[in-house]
Amino acid sequence: MSTFTFATVQYESGDWDSAPLVPANLIDSIARYTEIDVAPSGVVVPLGSEAALRYPLLYLTGHLPVRFTAQEKQVLTRFLDRGGLLFVDDHNHDVDGMFHKTVTEELEQVAGVLRKLPNTHPLYSSFFRFEDGPPNTSHELNGWGDNLLHPYLMAAMRGDRIAVLYSNKDYSSEWNFHPDNKRFYSVDNTRFGVNLVVYALTR
Amino acid sequence: MPSRGERRLLERGSRAVALAALGGLLWLAWRPPPPANARVTVDGTAALPAFLSQATRAPVGALALVIDSIPGRRERDWLRALAGAGTAVTWRRAGATALRGDLTGIAITAEPVVDPSGRSRIVAVGPPGAPLTISDEAGGMDSASIASSGARVLDATVDGIVTGGGARSVATTAPRDSVVLRPVLVLANAGWEGKFIAAALEEAGWRVDVRFAVAPRVAVVQGTGGRDQAATIAGIDTGRYAAVVAVDESAAPHAAALVRFVRQGGGLVVGRDASSVVALAPILPARPGAPITPVLGAIASDQPLRALGGIALSAPRRDAVVLDRLGGAARGVAARVGVGRVLMLGYDETWRWRMEGGEGAPAEHRSWWSAMVASVAYAPLAPLRPATAAQLVDEAPYAALVDALGEPLPDQPSAGAPISAIAWQRLRFVLLFVLLIGGLLAEWTSRRLRGAR
Repeated sequence: MSTFTFATVQYESGDWDSAPLVPANLIDSIARYTEIDVAPSGVVVPLGSEAALRYPLLYLTGHLPVRFTAQEKQVLTRFLDRGGLLFVDDHNHDVDGMFHKTVTEELEQVAGVLRKLPNTHPLYSSFFRFEDGPPNTSHELNGWGDNLLHPYLMAAMRGDRIAVLYSNKDYSSEWNFHPDNKRFYSVDNTRFGVNLVVYALTR
Repeated sequence: MPSRGERRLLERGSRAVALAALGGLLWLAWRPPPPANARVTVDGTAALPAFLSQATRAPVGALALVIDSIPGRRERDWLRALAGAGTAVTWRRAGATALRGDLTGIAITAEPVVDPSGRSRIVAVGPPGAPLTISDEAGGMDSASIASSGARVLDATVDGIVTGGGARSVATTAPRDSVVLRPVLVLANAGWEGKFIAAALEEAGWRVDVRFAVAPRVAVVQGTGGRDQAATIAGIDTGRYAAVVAVDESAAPHAAALVRFVRQGGGLVVGRDASSVVALAPILPARPGAPITPVLGAIASDQPLRALGGIALSAPRRDAVVLDRLGGAARGVAARVGVGRVLMLGYDETWRWRMEGGEGAPAEHRSWWSAMVASVAYAPLAPLRPATAAQLVDEAPYAALVDALGEPLPDQPSAGAPISAIAWQRLRFVLLFVLLIGGLLAEWTSRRLRGAR
């Protein structure tokens, strides 16, 4: 049985560990809603290390400018070419922020152009159904960051498969709470994270 | 200057010669067959076509054929017809003993490969070490020597008739059939193994349906069955699938259907975690054995499978075949069940090979899984060409020669100098024709010189 382990990317520039509770929260959701064999705790894996290839779903976030090293670009290229999926979330929720500007530049060098992902994409129905595309976050609705509601996610594709999924919606803030506090939510806001993991494991 | 009387005498003589030549030609054309005991030796395959033409018009009683290359299909059929018409045909191989091996000739076949690439497997057999060139209507495909085993195998896409051979024997073949490859169904829990098996098979050209169990009564279903899960699972039969890959215990609810599918002729690949499904035990070719410790660091080596954990497969059935063995342990065992086939694998997490392996790892992982599925897949044949095309090929010319004329005679010295029967026949025609024309010309010239018409 191959166990799913949630992996957060550690990159040399920026603050890669800005959302430390996200892994535990998503692991809790996966265990709560699915039968997927999930490791009870996540791992942190350096992007410049071959070890990144052991985790075909990687999560990358931060607030600060991102510049990948040559080694990081090389590993990331291999990772994407071999079938991995990199999920990148802008923790600033700001299209004018330095994280967005720099990381999208870096990603487009490695993975190609990021394009709008249609809201009818199978990602939005891989487990829970999100008729309107990516769910909005409280940070978008409260007007923080760029004060915009981002109606779609961006993606770089390999064939019909998402290789890089890019979000300006700040799921890193939305999901960065202790799993025990889910009981205070009328609707679990991490459900889209389950879709992301199920999509990565099945497509 | 001859006198008038002498000229008349000359003219009569010339006319007599011309008439005699004409008579000779008419006799040669309409003469009765030669005596039945006439024996002709034809030395060399190149002389055969001309002889056959002549021998059809003027049958011979016995033909001794000495060949230095294998006659073509047309000549063999002609010889068979002559033999059927009463000519006693014997043959033997010419040349030094060392060269006679070459004259056992080349035989070649092309059969479809059970593989979505549409390739054919060309098998050429012949004397070990003999030079061999294989080509099809699009051009050259292979040029090598036949191995010491006496065979050369080539998997390739074929365009039209395939020709293989050397200087002394040429064989031709063409694929007669193609395989009908239906989709492959992958049954797995949502996880990296099932995902990357499906990806590898799709990249190799297979049409793939998947059913990934995610939660109780929830599964991700993709492929030709669409999102209708019930249809995908209810339709596990050979009319719909060529093979099923049961990756893990998520196959348990479908075990009865899988057993039925295999007995119908379908192929089943049983992954390490699926081998624990009790209902599949009766059709498994071996039993799960001892765990195998993976070799650390081997994933990027030239033997990446050593880096994968899993189990050894033990107690294979008597009719089982070990297809994959690593470090002395059987890791892939196959057997027939009913009219289908089951392949049991003992590897864990083969996806790591693709992700973490060396430079060519994704392609190797893809080829390996494609080969595993192909080894069991149900692949009925469909005629590829009109039956007439098969009649144009000559797959085993030496065997066909033996079939037409019987075994060659043992080595023996040539029975005297060969008679060039054809040359003599032609020479007689030419001489008589020259005499005919010469006589008429002489008469006409003489008459003109003496002023007569």
